[in-house]
Amino acid sequence: MANLLWLQGGACSGNTMSFLNAEEPSACDLVTDFGINILWHPSLGMELGNDLQQILKDCVSGKIKLDIFVFEGTVVNAPDGTGTWNRFAGRPMKEWVKELSAAADFVVAIGDCATWGGIPATAPNPTDSVGLQFLKKNIGGALGKTFKAKSGLPVINIPGCPAHPDWVTQILVAVATGRAGDLTLDEYQRPKTFFQSFTQTGCTRNMHFAYKVSTTQFGQRNGCLFYDLGCRGPMTHSPCNRILWNRQSSKTRAGMPCLGCTEPEFPFHDLMPGTVFKTQTVMGVPKELPLGVDKSSYIKYTGAAKAATPKWAEEDMFVV
Amino acid sequence: MREESDKELLDRIAKMLDGGLKTMTEPFPEDNFQFDVIVRELAHIKKDDVEKKLVVSGYLNHPIEEMRCMECMYYLNHRKWCNLPEIDLPAEPDWWCRLWRI
Ligand code: SF4
Ligand code: SF4
Repeated sequence: MANLLWLQGGACSGNTMSFLNAEEPSACDLVTDFGINILWHPSLGMELGNDLQQILKDCVSGKIKLDIFVFEGTVVNAPDGTGTWNRFAGRPMKEWVKELSAAADFVVAIGDCATWGGIPATAPNPTDSVGLQFLKKNIGGALGKTFKAKSGLPVINIPGCPAHPDWVTQILVAVATGRAGDLTLDEYQRPKTFFQSFTQTGCTRNMHFAYKVSTTQFGQRNGCLFYDLGCRGPMTHSPCNRILWNRQSSKTRAGMPCLGCTEPEFPFHDLMPGTVFKTQTVMGVPKELPLGVDKSSYIKYTGAAKAATPKWAEEDMFVV
Repeated sequence: MREESDKELLDRIAKMLDGGLKTMTEPFPEDNFQFDVIVRELAHIKKDDVEKKLVVSGYLNHPIEEMRCMECMYYLNHRKWCNLPEIDLPAEPDWWCRLWRI
C-alpha cells in the first residue's frame, strides 16, 4: 500500500481533469489493482477544514507515512514572498509544499505549472509563481536546486499543459510498485521513457515534413505544420504521437500545430501577438530549426528534398 | 465561358512579366511579422485580379540569388503552382517572389 497525497497550487485543474480521464491504468485501477491509497485529492477527497488539516499535519509529522506527494499548479510566492495569495488549510500553500515534500518518499510535479511555472509564470508573472524545482529552464524553484525526496530522487517532472493522463498514472504506478529505480530522468527531470522521443515521432505528417510540403490552414490533412503554422514537433520532447490522446488522436493528427507544451520555455515568446501558431522566420528561414540541425544543413536538405518531392505528396492523399 | 487552364494562366503571367510588368520586389520581409503584413494585403485582392497579386507579391520571372520557387515551401513542383493561399497562382520553378520561404 502506498499513500498518495495530491495538492493543487496556482492551477486550472487541467491536470486533475486529465488524471481522472486516465485509461491505462485508470485512476480507479491505481486504487484497486496497484495498491495506491489516495489520502486526499482536491476533487476526490471527502475531508474538509480541520479533518483535512489533520491529514496534512500527520503527513508532515510522519504519523501518516507519505509515500508519494503529487503537486499540480505553481507555487505562488506573491505578495512579497509571503505566498498568502494562495492560502490552503490555514496557511500559505508554499509552506505545506516545503514540509510535505521533505516528508515524502517521492515528489511528483504534474503539468507545466508545477514543473516549471507554465502559463502563470509567464512575464510579468504577477503571482510570483515558480515550479517545484524549476522556473522555466532554471533549476531552483520552490524546493531549491539540491532538493531530493527521501527516496533520493529529485522532483519527478511530468510536464504538459495538461500532462497526458497515462503519463501520470503510469509513473505513479511505477513509483508505487517499487520500480522507481527503473526510471531515468533527463536534464529537466522528466522520465525519459516518455520524454526522450519527439512529438514528431509517430506523427502522420512525417512524409510531408520530409518532402517539405506545407500545411497552410488549420485542419488541412495534407502537409506538415512546421513550415507555416509553427509546429514545434521536431524540437519538443513528448510521446503525443506514440501515446495518443483519447487513445485516437493528437494535435498534429487533427491539423493543429504542437505548441511545445512539455518544454520548460512554454508558453514560447511570452505569448507575444504573432508568435502563436506561426513559424517564426528570419529572411525566409525558420528561426528555430529541428533539434540538432544547423541553418546551412537545413537549407541544403530542404532544397534537395523539395526537388525530390513525388507527385503524390502534393496531392490530397486522404480521400473519402 | 471556358475556364482558363493552369497552363494558359501560366503563359499569361509569363507574358505579363516578359512584357515588363513592374512588381514590388522590395522590401523583402525580414521576419514573419513583415511577411504577414504583405499576406494581409494580398488577402484583400480579388481572386481574379492576377496582375495586382503579381505586383503586391513581387513576382519575378527569374531567381534572386539562391532563392527561387523551386525550393520555396509553398511551391508545388509537379503542378508548377504557388500554393500560398493568398497567391494561389501558377509559377515556373525558376521564378521568385518576396514571400519566398524555405
Ligand atoms: S513538424 Fe509537426 S506536423 Fe510536421 S511532421 Fe513534425 S510533428 Fe508532424
Ligand atoms: S511564395 Fe513566391 S517564391 Fe514561393 S512559390 Fe509562391 S511565388 Fe514562388
